Amino acid sequence: MTRIYWWLVDAVSRTLEPGERDVVLGDFEESGESGGRALRGVLGLVVRRQAVLWQDWRPWLVLVGLIVPLGMMLSIVSSLTAGQSATYIWLYANNWDWALLRYAEFWYEAVDSLAFVFVRWLTLVCWSWTAGFVLGSMSRRIARSYGVVFCLMFFGGLLGAPLYLAYFLQYNIHRPISPDTHDPIFGLAFYRVMLPLIVQAVLVAVPSLLGIRQGRDAGRFTRLLRIVLWTAAIGTLILLLIQEPGFVFFLNAYWLRRTWQGWQILQYVVYWPVAYLVATAIWRRWHGRTAA
Amino acid sequence: MLGEFEYLLLTAAARLGEGAYGAAMRQEIEEATGRDCSIGALYTTLDRLETKGFVKTWMGDPTPQRGGRPKRMVRVTAKGAQAASEFYAAVTRVSRGVSWEANRVAIRP
Repeated sequence: MTRIYWWLVDAVSRTLEPGERDVVLGDFEESGESGGRALRGVLGLVVRRQAVLWQDWRPWLVLVGLIVPLGMMLSIVSSLTAGQSATYIWLYANNWDWALLRYAEFWYEAVDSLAFVFVRWLTLVCWSWTAGFVLGSMSRRIARSYGVVFCLMFFGGLLGAPLYLAYFLQYNIHRPISPDTHDPIFGLAFYRVMLPLIVQAVLVAVPSLLGIRQGRDAGRFTRLLRIVLWTAAIGTLILLLIQEPGFVFFLNAYWLRRTWQGWQILQYVVYWPVAYLVATAIWRRWHGRTAA
Repeated sequence: MLGEFEYLLLTAAARLGEGAYGAAMRQEIEEATGRDCSIGALYTTLDRLETKGFVKTWMGDPTPQRGGRPKRMVRVTAKGAQAASEFYAAVTRVSRGVSWEANRVAIRP
């Protein structure tokens, strides 16, 4: 138990500035603090430090202008993605027959389905990572608070948005009354409850938090590189807006979606995080080799 | 006007003199008050006092008993000493004629 406490103390203390972290851990070591008391102490310090940052007006502007809308959109897009993926997963996982492997049609259909699900998941991961990247690059010190609030936002996003409630009512009205063709799928608790949560955790929460982490380091880049990255990020988020059915529905902005779809090539800007991560990995490897 | 905890910190730092740093001040306050002094309250209040110009802090040398980690040393400034003195004078003035001994309050007529 003590070891777990100290592991947690070490992990939580990493959210402090490096100098302060050293001082605090030194204090614990010198005073022979128990693990539990040290954990309470460091948690209290981290919460106070983050609370002080929220006394400024800028984090509130970021909250209202970015965290709330992005969190809600990602929440809804991830629910839609989970719903679309559920059909394919159910089709193969719940109706599996080894004999299918003998048919060429099965392989053709399976590859097609897999590609569809993969592209949907990759798009969601890229959107989430970009949202995190933008938040992380706003402020290095408060980035962790943004991460926590952002996660709370998209996990609870569906509950707290009156406008979206209207959208969902509309969406539900247009859905066929039971028996729906999807009833065998969403009648199962896994596809109705667990899969959306798994999609939100794995395809939204994890990439967003990684994006926040990478965004925190963006301040070190050259001005030109920052402009390029921000342009790509803003383009991605605009595309998220356009693709998000609620936005188009509320603002009656179907023309915007049609215009954007005319520019097919620009739609690939969404996948810029893949290029960015590959480029940074290559750069780190090369830099590490030349430094050695 | 200082807060109660700010006064405690200034007093502990003044008492410890050259040896005033986070862990020592915390121990001093806990011994004097018999209450827990959280590290969060300690360092955020120290920051506030430093912003007001009541203390000056800097990183000390690392020591072996701290696992090679540095201390955050503290020194009370003249402005801090003045603020603590005014707080003490105010508490003394307001306490004049009031006795808290044996849970009994005796108010001067």
